[in-house]
Amino acid sequence: MTLPLAHVGHYLWVLYLLPILFVIAGIVKTTLTERRRRKDSDEG
Amino acid sequence: MSLLPFAHALAAREDLPVPAWLFAWGASIVLIVSFFALAIGWRRPRFEEAHWRPLGAGLSRLLLGRPLQALCGLIGVFLLGVAVYAGLRGTEAPDRNFALTFLFVTAWLGFPVFSALLGDVFRPFNPWRAVGRLAGAGFRAIAGQRPAHLAYPEALGRWPAAIGLLAVVWLEVVYGSSGGVAVGLDPATAATATLFYSAYTLAMMALFGVEEWCERGEIFSVYFGMFSQLGWFGVEDGRLGRRRPLSATTRWAALPGSAAVVIASIASTSFDGASEGPFKPAIESCFDWFVERGVGLTASLRLTDTIFMLLCFAGVALVYMLGVRGMRTVRGAPSLTTLRVGFAHTLIPIALAYLVAHYFSLFVFQEQAQFTYLLSDPLGTASTDLFGTASGGIDFTILRANAIWYVQVASLIVGHVLALTLAHDRALVYWPNYRDASRSQYWMLAVMVAFTCFGLYLLSYSNK
Repeated sequence: MTLPLAHVGHYLWVLYLLPILFVIAGIVKTTLTERRRRKDSDEG
Repeated sequence: MSLLPFAHALAAREDLPVPAWLFAWGASIVLIVSFFALAIGWRRPRFEEAHWRPLGAGLSRLLLGRPLQALCGLIGVFLLGVAVYAGLRGTEAPDRNFALTFLFVTAWLGFPVFSALLGDVFRPFNPWRAVGRLAGAGFRAIAGQRPAHLAYPEALGRWPAAIGLLAVVWLEVVYGSSGGVAVGLDPATAATATLFYSAYTLAMMALFGVEEWCERGEIFSVYFGMFSQLGWFGVEDGRLGRRRPLSATTRWAALPGSAAVVIASIASTSFDGASEGPFKPAIESCFDWFVERGVGLTASLRLTDTIFMLLCFAGVALVYMLGVRGMRTVRGAPSLTTLRVGFAHTLIPIALAYLVAHYFSLFVFQEQAQFTYLLSDPLGTASTDLFGTASGGIDFTILRANAIWYVQVASLIVGHVLALTLAHDRALVYWPNYRDASRSQYWMLAVMVAFTCFGLYLLSYSNK
């Protein structure tokens, strides 16, 4: 039995995009956490 | 695996141990690990000082002395003359004519690599500089004074070289796009363009001075000189010496337009890879759009390719600017202009990595042609056999597909790790607190990961 994957190759670019998205997500999360921590320490 | 009908992609490189996209993931992990290693262990700038050590005075005198410089200049002029003559008088077949392989492969791809390893080796061989210096010496002998030059407009910086760099690649990749051969440009067109460029360069040298124009406007001097900043060897105060590798890059980008030169280098290589790969459907749609509106076929093709080449330039510039803008969010950041200029040199290793990754196999294959049949029969008319190698050919089995892929992956990873290191080092200059410096590099990490993944995507696509 063959699976209907004939054109899956056209979407391979998504796999190359994922590391970039992971890094950007990590940066955004870290930046927000640091900003919140700085804000808390300023208020404290 | 062979039972699955993946129409275009996944079955293409079955003999790799893991799918090609996993290399992009692996490369990204290498970059992230490098980033954290730099953040922990690299707490003061190390590339701002060159740690210059002059080589022996005798060696400097020999290599930089007038006799050898004159000989190298003569060789440069002779080879340029052979290329122009072969282009004008030789065969129209691009792959049988000495001119194209010599200009667009041997010189265009060879000098960047040799410059990075050995220093600015193009400078003594630069035929236009040799002619310009000779003309200047002749003027001094006749007039008894140095030729007067105009002051070079500071704001222009290296912009003429950046635009010229795009123009050279446009000529090769867009104007000469014919498919099927390594360089598809008509040899006579290449020779004519070389003559026009020679006239333009000599005129600019007469106006602004030979060394001034070579430093800022002469495309090849600026382009190859940029790569020469990466390596160990250089010249200071007329003396040959060794320095810390990469350290010379930190001062290279101070002139306006330098960022545009290095971005143009990355963008033109990206376009060359993408035009036959992932951009192809979009290029075809754009081409059809022009044709449907009555534009001729050749004009439509060139117009479309030109638009996409400029889009590549804009795209690379945008990604870089996003990284720079991200740094501005860290407290104590200098102005955007300072950051834009201050980090431009970090792209030089990426430009070299892209060049090696994209053209490594082409260079290895075409140099076999260069040193066999193109050398013995430069006109490609089968009428001469100067060195008895006219019947030679290219052995395409010399490189296996996987070996090419591993070189491509390795060059991209090394280039981006070096770029990341340079960026971290420069950040320590602007943010003496190493925590802030590391924080400022979050977005440059994203830029490096983006360039790495994009580069690997292009290569995996074009290698299919």
